[in-house]
Amino acid sequence: MSDERTRFANVVLPHLGDAYALARWLARNDSDAEDIVQEACLRAFRGIRGFGNINPRGWVLSIVRNTAYTWLKKHRDPKLVAVDNVEEVEQAGAAWDLGPASPEASLIEQADAARLEAAIAALPIEFRETLVLRDVEGLDYRTIAEVTGVPIGTVMSRLARARRRLMVELGKETA
Amino acid sequence: MTDASDDPILLVHAYCDGELDPANALALERRMAADPRLAAERDRIVALKRAMTRLKPAAAPPALRGRIEREVGLRGRPAARPTWSALAASVALAVVVSAGATWSVLAPGPAAFAGDEVLGSHIRSLMAAQPYDVASSDRHTVKPWFNGRIPQSPRVVDLARDGFPLVGGRVDVIGRTPVPSLVYRYQAHLISVTQTQGLGTPPPMRTVGGYHVVGWTEGGVSYWAVSDVGEGELEKFVRLFRAAPTDG
Repeated sequence: MSDERTRFANVVLPHLGDAYALARWLARNDSDAEDIVQEACLRAFRGIRGFGNINPRGWVLSIVRNTAYTWLKKHRDPKLVAVDNVEEVEQAGAAWDLGPASPEASLIEQADAARLEAAIAALPIEFRETLVLRDVEGLDYRTIAEVTGVPIGTVMSRLARARRRLMVELGKETA
Repeated sequence: MTDASDDPILLVHAYCDGELDPANALALERRMAADPRLAAERDRIVALKRAMTRLKPAAAPPALRGRIEREVGLRGRPAARPTWSALAASVALAVVVSAGATWSVLAPGPAAFAGDEVLGSHIRSLMAAQPYDVASSDRHTVKPWFNGRIPQSPRVVDLARDGFPLVGGRVDVIGRTPVPSLVYRYQAHLISVTQTQGLGTPPPMRTVGGYHVVGWTEGGVSYWAVSDVGEGELEKFVRLFRAAPTDG
């Protein structure tokens, strides 16, 4: 077995589950997620020589993330929302208000999984990826900043905005 | 940290994520004790994080792992095309293999080989993310797309009014020769029309593994129409294709 294959088996394959979870949250579709992960793994295999053995999980997830963006733009949405737009919309939207609209913590905690999943799926992709990398994949802020290619301050504000939207959504009265 | 960390709300998130050093965490705890709004936000964040642990975990399908291992050569032989699903690939392989056997019995020679390849390309395209490389119903878009990709310019006709709209085109490879294929739609079926030169004369009609292949030669170009529509529909399509005015 060649060196590349051994390294691929040791570096990439252990994170296949995480890779698939991230792709699934980004694509919001199982079969697209499979295509994305497969393509990302081929990219990782081709780039395995250049990988410096630091944070393999972050490395794999950043490849999956970048592949997902390319794939989704090509096959699903050529106008996949641009980073700048989301930030502007959010600034204008005064999402910071901690007024009476903020729901009780108990209401949020009791929200059922299907509703939560739908609310996450409805987030703009930049917010969604930040939230998923933190609360599903469990990455720290610094790694999320590396994976998504933005400063830590941006990671923090995206994460806070993502969570705020979920809180508001889950706090709504159920029909 | 950065400027963003001056915002107390962001600090509460960072606190809940275990991102604050002990001194900052302690300072924030004092602030939260003094400000019920910050304390309430902390409770909501913790509640949300708890709710998220109840999301069902997504495990990578075993077939996906197998496919990736084959592709990088960790097991078995590499798959021909990365976008196939394992099932689709095995079905395609079976059809192409049986197609190969049938063709070699019925029509030996280079045309038989081209027939296998044309059929294989059509089946492969059905299993790809999309069955064409350029998606357009406009023959004036599809035809120029081939320029620069392949030496010959394919004949493209408009059959939309007859119920066979053009949906796109792709380049297939027969042996080592890139050739143009047009993709038309008929109801829920796709019809590929592959045009070859010097790869033998196609037999008029073959049925292999549920697919019909109708071939003809005109002006030195061989045409192969492949589809799973009924024989009658495919023959009608071929009649219309041959009769349609050639575009400029």
